[in-house]
Amino acid sequence: MALAELVQYVATGLLVGGVYALMSIGLALIFGVMRVVNFAQGDFMMLGMYLTYFYAISGSVDPLLGALLTIPPFFVLGWIVHRGLLARVTGGGDPQRQMDAQLILTLGLSLVITNATTMILTPTPLGIRTGYATQAFALGPVLLNQARSYAFAMALVLAAAVYVFLTRTDLGKALRASADDPEAASYQGIDVRAMHGLAFGIGIALVAAAGGLLATYYPIEPTVAGNFIVLMFVAVVLGGLGSIPGAFVGGLVIGLVQSLTLLVLPFQLQNTGVFIVFLLVLYFRPQGLFGRRARTV
Amino acid sequence: MRPLSRTTIVVLTLALVAPALFIRPAPAAEDVKIALVAPLSGRWARQGQLKKMGAEMAIEEINSQGGIKALGGAKIVLREGDAGDSVEKAVSAAQRLLTREKISAGIGSWLSSFTLGVTEVAERLQVPWLSLSYADSITERGFKYTFQTSPVSSLQAEQALELVTDVARRNNRPIKKAAIVGDNTAATVFFFKPLREKLLAAKGIELVVDEVWTPPLADATAIVQKLRTTQPDIMFYGGTNFPDSIQVLQKIKEFSVKTPIQGVGAWLVTPEYVKTVGKELLDNIQTVVAAHPLKGQEDLVKKFVQRTGEPFMTQDPLCTYAHVWLIKEAIEQAKSADPKAIRDALAKIDLSSGPATSAFYPARVKFDERGRRVGAAPLIVQWQGGEPFTVVPAAVATRPLAWHK
Repeated sequence: MALAELVQYVATGLLVGGVYALMSIGLALIFGVMRVVNFAQGDFMMLGMYLTYFYAISGSVDPLLGALLTIPPFFVLGWIVHRGLLARVTGGGDPQRQMDAQLILTLGLSLVITNATTMILTPTPLGIRTGYATQAFALGPVLLNQARSYAFAMALVLAAAVYVFLTRTDLGKALRASADDPEAASYQGIDVRAMHGLAFGIGIALVAAAGGLLATYYPIEPTVAGNFIVLMFVAVVLGGLGSIPGAFVGGLVIGLVQSLTLLVLPFQLQNTGVFIVFLLVLYFRPQGLFGRRARTV
Repeated sequence: MRPLSRTTIVVLTLALVAPALFIRPAPAAEDVKIALVAPLSGRWARQGQLKKMGAEMAIEEINSQGGIKALGGAKIVLREGDAGDSVEKAVSAAQRLLTREKISAGIGSWLSSFTLGVTEVAERLQVPWLSLSYADSITERGFKYTFQTSPVSSLQAEQALELVTDVARRNNRPIKKAAIVGDNTAATVFFFKPLREKLLAAKGIELVVDEVWTPPLADATAIVQKLRTTQPDIMFYGGTNFPDSIQVLQKIKEFSVKTPIQGVGAWLVTPEYVKTVGKELLDNIQTVVAAHPLKGQEDLVKKFVQRTGEPFMTQDPLCTYAHVWLIKEAIEQAKSADPKAIRDALAKIDLSSGPATSAFYPARVKFDERGRRVGAAPLIVQWQGGEPFTVVPAAVATRPLAWHK
């Protein structure tokens, strides 16, 4: 195999993984702070794709900008969903029963969102036609798809912004404190319930932005979440449950493994490589790549 | 003998009269229920939606023209079952639909993998089932209640190869190297299998790329990279899942791959392709299908377009439209809405005119002992200026075939 070809596989894998990474950090944040496994995460991503599409159609907004513009409305939506639904099954009580209720709630929410979107917006796929979806940056013999490169760069920026927010701001520290020890945090005057709302809002906004970036090169349909949700969970667990850098690296690793698997296995077994790596990581490092025994963000 | 007491007389009278109270006079014409099991949710929901449009159009025509004459003007009603996005869901939808009420005949379920499962249920419950799916195996199981109106995949592969090699030779671009690219759904598998195993070799064509994936496809770079490196003269293409197919086509443009594309199936000629990738990218891409509007069907297409707002009509609504008409004809001949009688009528039917046949090529409906339509031949449809036209066979074509420059 020529070196150029190998570089092409690695570059492609990283570019694909970049958007997986952004999708996954929202999920990791929600799990890290709230201990909620959000099965509806992919559906919020799908809604983010539709919003980006409507920005593009009605206001001629470039989808890369549109993706950023999904953040405020989806933050509010996430906050409302938390306040209206999730807050009723989180924050106290028998942990096992709470977990059951959360799983059923988020799974139900996922079904409702998918089917309501199918009914209201019809199953007809939509697409945003951008010049950069079918153009590449040429680095010698290696071609980097422009849409995926932009999406990758923006995913990096957004992930870095979240990291800075969590580590450098008081609000971010309060959020982490709520994740580490909700009880101790509340003794320090932190409103843990509000922190949960904040985490859910940010988590939903991030995945909606990832959806917006995805929409620059991927068709939009009500069931699009199904193509990504399993990979999101794998990325989060691979990186270490609840760890933001872990989820980001987990997403990149999945993209990379999907791409490199093709060097040794046929296309039909592309995701087999991902799950083999996943099992190996769990076997040798059960807490995940970046996980600690005590889960934190 | 003791005279009967008044109470006994009242009880006996009631006992005699009571059944009559519950027996309603048979309605002059009871509705005939037809099942449509198609994906109405999940990643193939669009195709189910198109099928439903065709079925509804036929039902409206039949009912407005006086219903089924042999049953005193009985109206046809549609019962839908959502096949979803898995064989299990398709099978349970069929099971639910066929056991809940009396269904006279059924149609579905678009994806060959689904049809294989659904027809097993129909066979067990003895309900005749019409399908447009392509996979050979649908009518290779000795089923009595399954009727396949489309030419089977292996036949499509043979004829598509024959056609493209012939056209390429006439355009001084003989095919020496071929690529097979597509997913592993049943119709695609059966199309690729004979190409891979014998047909290409028999024509002296080298298979240089053979990439098959399980939907969804994460990224098409590796596939298109191979196309770029090997430069095949033709690519046989079967990406039934829309996002997968879009990724492949976008990547082909990105990598400036000029290989002519010969698709398999009507999924490649749906209106959303134009909206998503633009008509320039689609130009000259052709696909082999079981049905597409032919010369002389302009009025039907116009009516469909006006009714649904779709920009054009394709195989899925067209076949389903014809299937409903075909069931109507079978009921007329059977003079009964009983599924077994309809099955027998379908097995004997030989039609060569009317709406039940016009969607098919050639325009004749007669089934062989396996349930395959006798003489069924595929059509080639090609994108030209943002619309797909029938280009082969020339006798029924709506546009001449354009070969890649």
